[in-house]
Amino acid sequence: MPLPMDLYNVLDFPILSLSIFLPTLGAIFIWLFVRGDQAVRWAALAVSIATFLVTLPLALQFDTSTAHMQFEEFAPWITTFNINYQLGVDGISMPFIVLTSLLTVVCIVSAWTCIKVRVKEYMIAFLILETTLIGVFCALDAILFYFFWEAMLIPMYLIIGIWGGKNRVYATIKFFLYTLAGSVLMLIAVLAMYFEAGHTFSLLAFMDYPFDFIWQFWIFIAFFVAFAVKVPMWPVHTWLPDAHTEAPTAGSVILAGILLKMGAYGFLRFSLPMLPDASQYFVPFMVALSLVAIVYISLVAMMQTDMKRLIAYSSIAHMGFVTLGTFMFTQVALEGAVIGMISHGFVAAALFLCVGVMYDRLHTREIGDYGGVVNVMPVFAAVMLFFCMANVALPGASAFVGEIMVLIGTFEASPVYLGMSTKWVAIAAATSVILSACYTLWMYKRVIMGDLVKDSVKTMQDMTVREFGFFVPLIILTLWIGFYPLPVLDLLHASVSHLVDQATSSKLAEAALLHASPVLDAVHH
Amino acid sequence: MANVTFPFPFPDHLITLLPEMIVAILAMALLLLDLFISKENKVWTAYLAIMTIVAAAIATIQLYPAGSIEAFYGFFVFDPFAAFCKLLVFAATAIAMILSLQYMKDENHIGEYYVLMLFAMLGMMLMISATNFIILYLGMELMALCVYVLVGYQRDVLRSNEAALKYFILGALSSGMLLYGITFLYGVTGSFDFSEIGAALTAADSSSHAAVLLGLVFVIAGLGFKVSMAPFHMWTPDAYEGAPTPITAFMSVAPKVAGFAVFMRVLIDALPALQEEYTMILIGMAVLTMAIGNLAAIAQRNIKRMLAYSTVGHVGFVMLGLIAANADGYAGILVYLSIYLIMTLGVFAIIILMRREGIQGELLDDFAGLSKVRPGYALAMAIFLFSLGGIPFLAGFWAKYAVFIAAIEAGHLYLVLYALLFSAVGAFYYIRVVKYIYFDEARVSFVFTESKLMQVTVVLTALATVALGIYPDPLMDVCKQALVGLI
Repeated sequence: MPLPMDLYNVLDFPILSLSIFLPTLGAIFIWLFVRGDQAVRWAALAVSIATFLVTLPLALQFDTSTAHMQFEEFAPWITTFNINYQLGVDGISMPFIVLTSLLTVVCIVSAWTCIKVRVKEYMIAFLILETTLIGVFCALDAILFYFFWEAMLIPMYLIIGIWGGKNRVYATIKFFLYTLAGSVLMLIAVLAMYFEAGHTFSLLAFMDYPFDFIWQFWIFIAFFVAFAVKVPMWPVHTWLPDAHTEAPTAGSVILAGILLKMGAYGFLRFSLPMLPDASQYFVPFMVALSLVAIVYISLVAMMQTDMKRLIAYSSIAHMGFVTLGTFMFTQVALEGAVIGMISHGFVAAALFLCVGVMYDRLHTREIGDYGGVVNVMPVFAAVMLFFCMANVALPGASAFVGEIMVLIGTFEASPVYLGMSTKWVAIAAATSVILSACYTLWMYKRVIMGDLVKDSVKTMQDMTVREFGFFVPLIILTLWIGFYPLPVLDLLHASVSHLVDQATSSKLAEAALLHASPVLDAVHH
Repeated sequence: MANVTFPFPFPDHLITLLPEMIVAILAMALLLLDLFISKENKVWTAYLAIMTIVAAAIATIQLYPAGSIEAFYGFFVFDPFAAFCKLLVFAATAIAMILSLQYMKDENHIGEYYVLMLFAMLGMMLMISATNFIILYLGMELMALCVYVLVGYQRDVLRSNEAALKYFILGALSSGMLLYGITFLYGVTGSFDFSEIGAALTAADSSSHAAVLLGLVFVIAGLGFKVSMAPFHMWTPDAYEGAPTPITAFMSVAPKVAGFAVFMRVLIDALPALQEEYTMILIGMAVLTMAIGNLAAIAQRNIKRMLAYSTVGHVGFVMLGLIAANADGYAGILVYLSIYLIMTLGVFAIIILMRREGIQGELLDDFAGLSKVRPGYALAMAIFLFSLGGIPFLAGFWAKYAVFIAAIEAGHLYLVLYALLFSAVGAFYYIRVVKYIYFDEARVSFVFTESKLMQVTVVLTALATVALGIYPDPLMDVCKQALVGLI
C-alpha cells in the first residue's frame, strides 16, 4: 500500500496524537513523580485542562466546508499486516473529542472530595480512559479503532470495581463481559473485511470498497452486536443500569457522556457508510428496537426507585432517539442524532452529577430517602430543575434541538424497506416527550419538592462553589446549543451530507460488476 | 604439515551443534563440580547453570544462520527457525532458574536440580533441530525424563510424588503412542527422515492409506500429549499443581515451545501429503482444547490449576496457526509462544514471590487485597492477567490476533469465531483474579520474598508485555524471518 502523502492537516502538527497521548503522559508523570492526594488531584486537573486546551484548536481550526478527514496523521504501525497509525477527524467525530476532554475535566473536579481512597490510582485510571476514548474517535484504521475500543475496558473495569457502590463487582464484571463478547464479533468482521477489501484496514478504504450484499448482511450483524451492546439498545441493555448505578459519580458521567456515544458513533462510522445496502435492509429492525427503547424503556424508567437507575434507563431511551435518527438516512435526522448525542453528553452527565451531589451528603440514591430537598438546598434545586427540564427536551435546551430534528427527519424520510409510513414511527417516537416528562418530573417532585419531613434531609448543606463550578460549563453549553445550535450544525453539515450520500448510494451495482468481471477482479487484487 | 585424517568421516557443519555441545559438556561438568560446592554456596550452581545458558545463547546468536544448514547427514538441522525456538527455550529456562533461586534455598538447595533443567533444555534443543524421528524421539525422552524427576522433586510432599507418578505413567504411554505412530510411517515409507517420509507419502498410492492414517493419528497424539492438547491434557493440572512452582513455570513454557516447533516441522516436512486429514483432526482437537481449557479454568480455586487449564486454552489458540498451515499461521505460532512465554513467566514470578507460612500463594483467595499490600506487584499481575485475557494495549492481544488472522486467511472463519467466543470466556477467569487483587480486602498476611533478581524479572516481563502490546511490529517481523528454512 502506498503511503498517502497528501495528509490534510492545516495545523501541520500532530495535534490528534497529542490529544490522545497527553493524558497518558500526564498519568505516567503522576504515577512516577507526584506524591500526596491533594497534589495528585491538582496534577490530574492540570493535565485534563491542558488536554482540553489542546483539543480546542480542533474546533476552532476546523474547516466546515469539507467532508474530508482533517488533522490527518499517518504512520506505519504493524507493517506485517498493513496496520497503520492513521488518525483524522471529520465533523461527526470532532465534537466528541472536545466533549470527552471537557467532561474529563468535569469528572476530575467532581471527584475532588468524594474519592478519598486510592486517589492516585483513580486519577491515573481516568486519564488513561480519556486516552482510549479520544483514540476511538480519532482512529481511521479498523485495528487501531478496535485497539482503543477494547483498551477502554481496563480502566473502566477498575473504576467501577474499585470505587463503585455495594454491588460493584457484579456490575463491573457484567459490564466487562458484555462489552467484550460484543466486540469479539466486531473484530472478526474487521478481519474478514481485511481480506475481502484487499489487505487493508483503512476505514476509508472500507467505505469505498463495494461489498456485495451477503458480505454486508453478515458484517452488519457482527457490527450491530458490538455497537448495540455499547449504545445500549434493547434487549442488550441490561449491563447499563447496573454499571451506572454502581459506578462512582464520575464513572457514571463518563459512561453516559461518552461511552454510550461510542456505539452510536460506530453505526455512523462503520455500518452506514461501509454497508449502505445492509443498513437500508435492516431499517425496520433498527426502527423497531429504537421504538422499544424509547417507549418501553421509558416506562421501565418510571418504575425505578433508585435515581441513578432511573437516569440510566432514561439514557437508554434517549439513545433510542439517536439510533432512530441514525437509521432514517436524512440530513436532518442524522444531524439531529448527532446533536442528540452531544446534548445527552451534557444533560445525562449533569443529572448524574446532581445525584452525586446528593449522594455525597446522604449516601443513598433511593428516591424514597429524599423529599423536600429544595428547602435546604435551593441553589441545587434550581440547577437540578434546569437539567430535568433539559432531559425532558424543553425548548431552549439542547436536547430539544436534537429530538425535534430527529422527529422532523423521521417524518420526511422514506426508507426503502420500512413498509410503512414513517409518520407513524415519528408519532410513536414523539410519545417519548410525554413519557420522559413523566419519569423525570415525577422523580424531581419526589426528591426535591414536598415538605421537609426526614431528619437526614434537614442536615443537608447547599452546594459548594466547587460543586456549582462544574455545572456552569454544562449549563452554558446546554443553553447555547438549545438557543443557537447553528455553529455546531455548521460543523456537521458537510460531513453528514457526505454520510447521507454514502448511506443512500448502493454498492451493489459496483459489487456485481466487480465480482462478475474476472478482468476487473484480477486488476483489483 | 601432514594432513590430519580422521579414522571416521567427520561430520560437516559440526559447528552448528556448538550450542548443544556447550550445554551438554558444561552440564556434565557442573554435575561433577556440584559435589565440591558446599551447602551454603549451592546458589553458585544456579549461577553457573544460568551462565551455561547464556553461553549457549551467545553461540546461537553468533551462528544465527541465514538459511538451513544440515549436519550429521541430514539428521540435524540448524536454520533460523531452530535458532529462534532455541532462543525462546533458553529464555524460558534461564528465567525459570532465576525463579528457582529463592525457592530452592528454602527447600534445601540440591545441585542436580539445575543440571536436570539443563539436560531437559538440551532435549528440547535436539527436538527443535531434529529432522528425523529418531533424533526427535531421543530429544523428547531426554526432556521428558528430566522433567518427570523435576516434577517429583519435593520427595517428602505427597502431592508432588503423585503428580510425578501420574505424569510419568501418562508420559510413557504417550511416548509409546508416538513410537507406534513412527513405526507405521516407517513401515510405509521405509525412512525416519522427515523429508524422505514427506516425499514418499506424496508419491505413495492409496493402498497404504490406512497404515499412514494410523501413523498420523498416533504421531499427533504423542506430540499432542507434550503440548497438552485435549483430550491428551489430563496430566496437565495435576502435574502443574504438584510440581515445585518454578518447575510449573518452566513446564508451562519451554516444552510447549519445543513441542510446537516439532509439530510444525513434522507437519510441514513429513506430512504435507496428509494436510487435509491432519487439518481435520487438529480442528476437532482445537475445538475440544479451547472449550476444556477455558471452561475448566473457571471452576478452579488454585491458581496453579487455573493456569494449567489456561495453558490448555492457549494451546487451543496456538493450534489455529497449525490449522491455518500458511506462513502467517506459523509466524503467528512463534509470535504467540514468545508473548505467552513472557506473560506466563511474569505471572509465576509473582506467585513465587508470595509466601505465607512457608507456602506459596496458591489459592485465588490468597491474592485478595494484594493491591493494598504491594501495589507494584498488583499492577504487574493485572498487566499479565489482562494480557493473558487478550485485551489490547497489552501483548496478549497481538498473540491472538496473529493466529486468528492467519486462520481466517486459510478460510476457517467459523473456527476463529468459536475461538474468539472462548477467548471472551477466558477473559472472565483472568479478570476474576484482578477482582481479587483490586476489589477485595486482604484476608491473610503475606511475607514477600525479597529477591532483587526476581523483582527485576517481574519488572522486565511487565514492561515487555506493555511494550509489545503497543508496538509488536519488530517481534512479528523477527518471527516471520524465522520461518526461512522451514517453509
